[in-house]
This record gives sequence, C-alpha cells and structure tokens, in this order.
Amino acid sequence: MKDGENDTGVAKLTKAERRLKIKKSRREAKKLAEAKVDASKENLHSEVLAKVEEDLSAEELFAKKKIRLAEVGIALIENPEANIKSLKELLQICDDEDHNIVKLGLMSLLAVFKDIIPGYHIRLPTEKELEMTVSKAVQQTRLYESTLLRSYKAYLQKLITLDKQTTFHHVAVRCMCSLLDAVPHFNFRESLLANVVKNISSSDDVVRKLCCEAIRSLFINEGKHGGRATLEAVRLIADHVKFHNCQLHPDSMDVFLSLTFDEDLGKSESNEEKVKPKKKKRRQNQEGSNQVQGSDRKKVRQELMVKTREEVNADFKAISFAPDSEERRRMQSETLSAVFETYFRILKHSMDPSLSRSKTNAVAATGASGSQPLLASCLNGLGKFSHLIDLDFMGDLMGCLKKLAGYSDHFEGSSSESYLSVSERLQCCIVAFRVMKNNLDALNVDLQEFFVQLYNLLLEHRPDRDRGEVLAEALKAMLWEGKQHDMQRAAAFIKRLATFSLSFGSAEAMAALVTLKHLLQKNSKCRNLLENDAGGGSLSGLVVKYQPEATDPNLSGALASVLWELSLLAKHYNPSISSMATSVSSMASMNPAHNQVYLSTASPPQAFKDLSIERELFKPIGKPVSLNRKRTRGRDFVIISPDEVQKVENTIDEQEVQRRLEDHFMVLRDIAENERLRGELNHTLSSIKLYEEYKRQKKQRYTSNTGRRNENGEKVK
Amino acid sequence: MGKKLGKKARKFAKKNLQSVLKRRRKLKSMFKRKAASRRVGNEDAAEGYEKVKSELHARGNSDDGAILNDQLENLFVEDDDHLNEDVSDSDGYLSEDPECPYISESENEDDSRGQNKEIHLELAKQKRKLERLLEKDPKFAEFVESRRSDLDQTRSEEIYSDDEGNTSYLDGVAVRQSQISHDDKVLTGHTIDVWCWLVMEQPDGSGFANLLNGFHAASQYGINFDDNSSPRIPNRAVFSKILTFVLCEADGVFRRLLGVPDSCSKECILKLKSTPKWKTVRPLMKSYLRSSLFLLNQVTDSQILVFILSRLRASVIFFTLFPSLVGRLIKILVHLWATGEESLSSSSFFFIRDIASQLSSDCLDTCLTRTYNAFIAHCKFVEPTNLKHLKFLMDSVVEIYSLNIQKSYQKVLLSVQQLASILRQALKTKGKEELKKIHNWQYVNCLDLWVKFITCNFRDHDLQQLLFLIIQVIRGIAYLFPGPRYVPLRFKCVHMLNHLSLSSRVFIPVASLVFDCLEYRGNSNSDTMKRMQINFSSLVKVPKQFLKSRDFHEECVLSAVELLVAHFVQWSYHISFPEVATIPLILLKRFHEKTNVESLRRLVKRLIDQVEQNIAFIQKKREEVSFSPNDQASVECFLQLEKTGPPAPFTRYYSSILQNSWF
Repeated sequence: MKDGENDTGVAKLTKAERRLKIKKSRREAKKLAEAKVDASKENLHSEVLAKVEEDLSAEELFAKKKIRLAEVGIALIENPEANIKSLKELLQICDDEDHNIVKLGLMSLLAVFKDIIPGYHIRLPTEKELEMTVSKAVQQTRLYESTLLRSYKAYLQKLITLDKQTTFHHVAVRCMCSLLDAVPHFNFRESLLANVVKNISSSDDVVRKLCCEAIRSLFINEGKHGGRATLEAVRLIADHVKFHNCQLHPDSMDVFLSLTFDEDLGKSESNEEKVKPKKKKRRQNQEGSNQVQGSDRKKVRQELMVKTREEVNADFKAISFAPDSEERRRMQSETLSAVFETYFRILKHSMDPSLSRSKTNAVAATGASGSQPLLASCLNGLGKFSHLIDLDFMGDLMGCLKKLAGYSDHFEGSSSESYLSVSERLQCCIVAFRVMKNNLDALNVDLQEFFVQLYNLLLEHRPDRDRGEVLAEALKAMLWEGKQHDMQRAAAFIKRLATFSLSFGSAEAMAALVTLKHLLQKNSKCRNLLENDAGGGSLSGLVVKYQPEATDPNLSGALASVLWELSLLAKHYNPSISSMATSVSSMASMNPAHNQVYLSTASPPQAFKDLSIERELFKPIGKPVSLNRKRTRGRDFVIISPDEVQKVENTIDEQEVQRRLEDHFMVLRDIAENERLRGELNHTLSSIKLYEEYKRQKKQRYTSNTGRRNENGEKVK
Repeated sequence: MGKKLGKKARKFAKKNLQSVLKRRRKLKSMFKRKAASRRVGNEDAAEGYEKVKSELHARGNSDDGAILNDQLENLFVEDDDHLNEDVSDSDGYLSEDPECPYISESENEDDSRGQNKEIHLELAKQKRKLERLLEKDPKFAEFVESRRSDLDQTRSEEIYSDDEGNTSYLDGVAVRQSQISHDDKVLTGHTIDVWCWLVMEQPDGSGFANLLNGFHAASQYGINFDDNSSPRIPNRAVFSKILTFVLCEADGVFRRLLGVPDSCSKECILKLKSTPKWKTVRPLMKSYLRSSLFLLNQVTDSQILVFILSRLRASVIFFTLFPSLVGRLIKILVHLWATGEESLSSSSFFFIRDIASQLSSDCLDTCLTRTYNAFIAHCKFVEPTNLKHLKFLMDSVVEIYSLNIQKSYQKVLLSVQQLASILRQALKTKGKEELKKIHNWQYVNCLDLWVKFITCNFRDHDLQQLLFLIIQVIRGIAYLFPGPRYVPLRFKCVHMLNHLSLSSRVFIPVASLVFDCLEYRGNSNSDTMKRMQINFSSLVKVPKQFLKSRDFHEECVLSAVELLVAHFVQWSYHISFPEVATIPLILLKRFHEKTNVESLRRLVKRLIDQVEQNIAFIQKKREEVSFSPNDQASVECFLQLEKTGPPAPFTRYYSSILQNSWF
C-alpha cells in the first residue's frame, strides 16, 4: 500500500519530502531491527492488546503505526491546505505509549512543520475581523492558519514537557533547535528560545553543542527574523548568566562572539534622520504657509490620504520582518547593552573577593580556570566589541581590568598567586589597550599600570602552561602598535625583551625581538643601548645603574645598560633568530635622524606563529648537503678510551681458558655420551618389550598349532 | 646438517642441561630473527636515501614528508640472505699428508660422571636381561630383527615430534660405527705435540693441515659425529691443546707462510690472491676461519669467547679474502656485543670496529646497519641494572658511526628524519598511540645516540643541518609533553640540548624549560608517606603516586639546578652572562624565599651566590672594555685568557655539582 503511494509520489517529491522519506525509511529499518530485539519485552504489552486486537502482535502494531505516520506526513506535505486537519492525528500519535513511536512522531512533525510553516508571522483575526463577512477563500485560509497555529502550539507544548523527561531530552532539544534554526520568524518563538537558552550550558555535550549552534545561527542569519530574536536571545542568556551566578560552561559565552553589529547603521542613518525632520518641518511650514490659501476640501482630502498611507505603512511594518533602520538601531543598542551587561557581570563576579579561590587554580588554569569559567570568553568578547562600548562604562571597565590584571596585589609580592592565569591577565591588558585605542580622543586614562603588569608578566610566562600567542598578542597591542613611548619605559622594555629572548624558545624570542626592533626604530634615542658608551650615563635618568630586578619599568634604569644579549643571540641555533639579532645590533650605526626607515612587516603574533614548533618541524627539510670535512681525523676513538682494549686483552688468562676449554669439552662429551647411552638403553628396552609381543605371538602360534594338531589328531583318529 | 644435529643436541639438553640450553636458546633465537622486507643498505647510501625518500612520497603525504615507517627497528633492513648461502657447505676437511704421523696410544678417558654413570648401569642391566632372553629363545633374535625394520620406518617419521630422548637405534649404531672406523685417526696427546712441534719448525709442512683438521674436529666436537673424515678427539687435554695452540699460533703461521708483515693494509692482502702460494694456503686459512666462527657459535662461556675473539682479531685482515665469512662474523659479533657481559661485549666491539675500519666499505655498511639495529632492539628498557651496558652500546655505535662520517652521515640523517616525522605525526594528531611512540626508551635512546654522535663529531665535520634538525626535534618533544609527569623526559631533553650547545658552541636557550620545576609544589607534609626513592635516570614518565611526594619535588629542584648550572657554565665567560642569568636568578630568588625545605633552600642559595659572584665578575670586566655588542670579533675574544687559566669559582662549583649527577 505504502509502496504504491511512494511510486506515484516519486515525481512530485520536493527535496524536503525526499529527505523526510529517506529519513523515515532509514528509521523504519532501524526500528524494525530494534523491535525484533524488543519483542520479548513487549510481550507483556501485546498480551494486553491481545484482548482488544487479538490478531495484532506488537510488531505489527508498531509497523502499522509507522506506516500511518508516514502516510499522514506525506499527505500533509503534498497538500497542506487539504490535509491540515491530520496534524491533529499526528499529535495524537505522539501520545503513544511506545517511546520509539513518540520519537518518530516528533521527528515527523518537525519535518512537516519545517515544510509547511509559511514565511510570515500569523496574526489571528480579531473578533471584529471575525464578525466581518469574508469570501470563502479567506475563510478557508483563516481556518487553515488557525489550525496550523493551534497544532504548532500544541506541538511546542509537547516538546517542552517532553524536554524534562530524560528519555526524550535529546529528541526534544534537537527538534527545538532545528525549529529555532528554520523558522525563527514564526509565532511562539519566545517559548522556543527560552527552552533552548535553558539548555545552553547543559552538562551534556551533545545538547549543549546543539543549543549553542542554534543560537549562533540565530545571530548569524539575522535576516530571517529581523534581529528581534537576537535581542530576545541575548536577554535570555544575560538572565541565565545572572541566575546561575556566572557558573556556566564557557561555550555558552562564546556564542556572543558570533554576534555582528552594524556600525554604520547607527551613524549614517542617524545623520540622515537628523537632517530629515528639519527639512520636513521646513517643508511643512512652507506647505502650511502655502496651503493657508488653499481650499479646506483639498486639505481634508490630503489629510485623509496621508492618514491612509500611514496606516498602510504601519500594517506593512507589522507584517514584514524587515524593520526600518530606527527600529534596528534601537534593537541593536539594546542587544549591545545586554551583552555588555553580561560581560560586566562576569568581570565583577571575577573580582568579587568573597569568592574563595584556591591558589592551585592559577597554576592549573589553562584558558578556562575552574572558578571563572566565563572570564576568558568574556575577555575575548570585550576585545572584539571594544569599539562599541559606551563611553560611560569606560572608566568603570578600565578599573575592572586594572584590578583583574593583578595590579592591586602585585605590591604585596604575591603576583604569582593571584588567582588568574598569566594568559588571562595578559588578556586583560590587551582588552584595555584595545578599548583605549578605539576611543583615544575620548578618554585620558593612564595606562602605566598595564605596562608595569606586562613588564612583570614577561617573567611569569611558562611556555608549556601559558599560551604564547596571547603573549605575542599583548606585545603587539601594547608595544608594537602603541604610540610613542616614554623613553625610560621604552628602554626598560627593550632591555627586558632582550633578556627575555635569552631564556625562552625561538617563537617567543622572535616575537620579543620583533617588538624590540620596532621599539628601537621608533625611539631613536634608545639606540644608545646598542653601543657601549664608556661614559655611560649621558642619558640615564634617575637611576644610574641598571636594576634588572626592578618591578617598575620606569625605575629600572635600563638606559644605562648595554644590549649585550644581542651578541649572544647572534650565536642562537636558530638561523632566523641569529640573523634578527645581528640586524638589530647593526642598527647602532644607523643615523639617529633616520626615523622609521624600514619598519619590519611581521607583527609579533605573526613572528611567533612562524617560528612555533609545529611550523618549524613541518618546514621542508633541505636536500642533504654533501658533507664537508673540516678537519681530517685519524682513526682515533671518539668516546671510548683506547685503554679499554688493553684492559680487555689483559683479562685473558690462558690457564683459565684452558681449564674452561677442558670443562667445555667435558660438557660436550657428556652430552654426546649421554645421548649415545640413552640410545642404546632405549634400543635394549624396546627389544625387551618386543619379547612380550613375541611371547604372545608364540602362544598364539602355539595354540593354533596345538589346535591344528588336535584337528590333525582327530583326523588321524 | 648442522640443524639436524643441533636438534638432537637440543632435545637432549632440554631434558638434562637446562642452564646450558637457556643460553643457547637465546643465541639461536637471535640468529633466527630475520628482517622481513628488502633492504636498502646494499646500494650506495645516498641512493638509498633517495629511494626511501621517493618511496615516502609515493605513499602520499608528500607535502610534509611524513614517514609512515615509524618503527625505529625497521629503518635499516638487514640482509640475511647472502649469509646463509654457505652455511651448508662444510667441506672443512683438508686432505692430509700420509707421512704425517699418527701416534697410536690408548688414552681414552673413561670417567663417566653423574647421570651418565647411572644410565650406564641401567643399560648394562637391561642388556643382560635382553641377552638372557635371547639365549632362552634363539628364535626371538630373528623376530627382533624382523620387527626392527618396521619399527625404524615408523620411528623415522615421528623422530622430530618425539619428545622423549628416544634416539633411534640406527643413530646409536652409527655413532658406534664411526667411532670404530676412526680408531686409527684418534688424536692423541703425543700426536698433537709432535704436530705442534712440526708446525713451529716448518710452517709450510703438512703438519699444519693435520692440525687444522684437528682444530676443525674440535670445533665440531659433540655435534658432528657423523662426519666420518674427521679425526677423533679422545680427551679434554687434547681438545684444549688443539684449540689453544691453533688459536694462538695460526695467525703467526699464516703470516709466515704468506710473508705478510704484522701491519698490512687491505690492498696488500688482496694482492696475495694472485700469488702461487695463495693456492695452497687458501684452503688452510678458510678452514681455520670457518672453524673459529663455528666455535664462536657453539661456545657459551664468555671467557673462552673473549679468548677466541682476541686471537681471531689478530687475523682480521685475512677476512678480506673471504667476503662470505665476514657477513657471518659480523652477525655473530654484533650478537655477542649486544648481549654479552662486559669484557665479552667490549672485545666484540673492538673486533667490529676493526672490521669496520680495516675491511671493505661494504663491511662498514653492514656493521653500521647491524649495530644500529641491535642497539635499537636492546634499548627498549632501561633499568638501573643495564644502564652501564646501554651506555657502552651507545658509545660503541657512536664510535663505529664516527669511523667514516661521509658514509654514515646519510644513515644518521635518515634516522633523525624518521624521529622528526614520528614527532610531527604526534604533534598533528596528539593521539595516545602517537604519543606513546615518543615517550618510550627506544625513541629517547635513539635520539640520545645521535646527540652523542653529533657532539663527538661536530668539531671536525660540518653537521649544521643535522644539528638544527635534532634541536628542533628535542624542543618539539619538550613542548609536546608538558606537565610534571613528564619531567624526567624533559630533563633528558634539556640535558641533550646542553650537550649539543657545549659541543657546537651555538646558543640554545633552555632556561624556560626548567622554570616550572621551581614551581611544582610537592606535598610538604608528606611525612606519613613512606620515602620512595625516585631515580629519574630510568624513568621517562613519573608514576602518578609520586607526583605529590616530597621526594619528587626535591628531585625536580635538584635536577633543575644541575641543568641550569650546566647551561650557565657554558656561558660563564661570555660577556652576556649577567643577562643570561637575569630571569633565572629572579625566579630562583623567589623560590628561595618561598620554599620550606631546608635542604633545597641551601642548595638554591649556593647557586644564587655563585651566579651572583660570576655576574659581578663579568660586570667588572665588562666595564673595562670599549667595544659594542655588534663587534662579534671582540666579543669572542672577551675573557679568552681567563678561560684557559685556572678554573674560575663557577667552574669549580659546576664540577662539584656534577659529581652527584644522575645524567
């Protein structure tokens, strides 16, 4: 029956239908197999059923239900208008006692809804509208829409209730997520969203991934819903974070990174609109003055026209989901404020001293620390959206970041025990600089503290614990991109970076050297560090002697030092580093007036990446060069001392060897002798054994002989 | 032939001589192992390299050249085929001159011992019984004879599966018969004495051939009774006399026969081939060398082996003339070298080294391949007990690879590239299996081997490319295994880097690799835990239960200090020493402030003091110079005078630290 239907339907199948069918047939096959396994379990069930439908076994019932499901579904997709009522039947199937049928039903309904839901928001007719007489077509449409809406609502309610049951959790979440992804413009989005957001930091990996993906696609495809859903989702997430006191999975905060904000939207159109009303007014004034003389009738008609136009516009606006720019701007700013509200909440929460944080966290932390799971993601977000932060927040934000970067507890001599990981603290610095960079004119905040932080954090870097990319990023944001630096500070950083590259791996060293070179290029006076001035302190400021252990770059007295590091770095095993070091040290001869002759193009993160171990190892290995012998060497021993030979020779004692040889001979002889004796023994034994056999045979022969003899004797007789 | 008899002997030994057998089994299994696939080593090394390369490309992944062959053992494949070809030909018997006297004399020893005596008694008893039966019934004898032929047929089929030491009747008969038939060729003590005297008096006489036949018989004693042509050896004195005399004197006799001086190159030996004398000497020499090899295979006592090796080594140059024997010799030697005890191992090594340096380059190739493979096969496990042996093996491989760098360089490069590609694979996937391929002793030891090779040869050869590659690999390992569990592995890496840096005089920053050891916090109140001795030298990975222990923490700091000192001492005379030490010093001071373990405090304090002292010294000297950092020539000359003078305090400190080092 079903097959026949399928055959006729082949020509008409749309993509969605085909998918549905494939899915269904696959499912069917699977379920059939499962059903067989479950047969024993369902025996009980079938016994009950047997009283009602005696002939039907559980399996048949299952198959029948499935076929019914498929029929209804296909019919619905083929002609939704005519078969809209069957939605009800499908919903009823979902109340079945068999879990598998329920799951199948949910999935079928999902497919059907995805297919038949129209591309607009359905508004149910008001009572007033209902009273009006309308054409049959309209009536039918209304009926259709209201049925659709009602069943959709019922379906959603079903999903929401099933979501709470563990057996259906996955299916329900999957259905909700795909609905949110496919029809975010449609009615009842709110409840859908609320449920998806609820699961956004589920401990179940699959569920969490699904939900995050759904939200993310919501953010990316704003065209589908005109941005309203974005706002709702962001608000819901914000509430969620608040409710859970920032203890969520970092994935749930990462979704914000997919948000896009149209910067131009605000500015250009607001300018236009600022101009517009004025013009309008003027025109109206003009019109008004002109029309004073006009007839009243004309005026009334005109007013009517304006009124109808506005009405139509309003209606259009209500239906279409492309909101006008003002609406969008409003939504965007609300979204932004919700996002930042969340971010600030997380920041504040991280700073909350009441929270007890174990020291081990700082050591163990890599990215997402135990007590502050959301911080890393939050800092990422702040970095990304720093240009959108409201100026009013700015001061507050910088305060937070400063505190978080660990400035406050630094002077207590316990910087290593501050509870954030080095990477997180560096990220704080980076964010602060990003924010400042984007709002240069607006703010005048002293960034000195952040420099102090960086200066000290350079010592805390551990290549296998902290992420080097963050460090390189920080170097870029704070030193490489920055404006002119104070000479003292620049010199301090130059010295520290040079020292740093003497202790760390090539990638970090390269990032440091690139920054160092850049600093030297921009601060021509610092090039004095490259030269060993006998007199020394012509430039040295307050501090006459270099203090390598100073914690404040301004007090380190680095101007009095010489960059001896470069001479050692020139011997670095990595050719890129050694050539970099040589090129830096050759800058000494550069004309001081020559400012920024050639700026190296590679930024610190780029340099870091280029020399990272992965990259280096994957570099093609050059063809083996023919070997050049630098020096000829005789046949000397390389490691082992030749005395060993003598030692070995001396240990030989001929007497002992002779004795041992004799022993060896005896052993060999014994083996041979033993073997021979055993051979003979066995031979003898087997011969003796044969005797038994011989005796038996003899006996037989004897008896047969005697028998024969007897016979003979009888014959004789 | 050898096989069959060997089987018989084995069967016997399994029952009666467990300890002897154990050793022999080890030996046999060693020889039986054959490489599965074709070998590349036969061709020219460079060609082989290209071939492997192209194979790799053919297997895909050409962009990163990932070598799929990640079993270190399979890098160089040995070629066993040509070694077996002449194992079977055993025409060891030399035609004897009838004039040469056999002096008959009955001196058969009859001192059956222990078990043999019992069997003997039993045998006599049973024989008497049988005889009685036969006497009783003469017809029985006929019956026995008739049954015997049937029995033998079935027996011959089951002879190999038969576990019982049930040697067939015929074998026993054969043994007896051969004994009987050769009673006239028994080598008595007097015969040997006369022969020896003859040989010493006139080396080109016939005595030598007879003696060598005796030597051959002795080498085959206990195994080759079937060999009808061999003379019989009646007692132990004769046995040892023949062996010691021939081994001691044969080399000299041959040299006198051929007129070859003691030191003689391969070329001048090869010239001999065309001389008329060679025709007569060749079979003699071949017999001698073959018998010696046979002896090496049979004897298990290490002192005898050392003796044979030391004597045979004198004639190493003669092996040039018998290329087929060299392969066998190398195989035996490598086995003895890898498995033997101390003196045996080292004497085998010296022999191998002589072969590699004095014989043809093909032999060198074989030596390179075989020693590498044997080393790789033996370095899978490191325990405190085999550390010394492993070190010796590693040193020997380095020695042999250093003989001819031109030749070995390609092999080394290939091996290091294989290590790199395994690492690359692990970096890419981070899979458990891939990581396991790296944190094992085989990988680490192989790496260590080449590090040693480079450090030994960097001064004389241009190994820049190899050096760079191996540094990258080591750094990659240190990067791939973070965390306290792999501290021993990382320390090993740092140690290797220090070595490389010292020998190549390039700067390799290692400080950051040990910094985090100054931060691991062991459980300071672990008094309840029993003190466990942790020895990093035989660990790559720390067992979990140690991680929190105080011992582990202490060991970490101790090793870290040692490695830092080794790093510092290299640059202790460099003008930039104060800067090298700056960051480590800051961290050490912090550690010193915080730690509550008194012994570590003292240790670290001493280091800090020493470093600061040296910093002050360099800074003082530095103020006196006027050149700038970009003046490399002057930088190089800085403090050169002091360097050659009496050791500075820091150097002395380093040697004191070095004394109780585990590396």
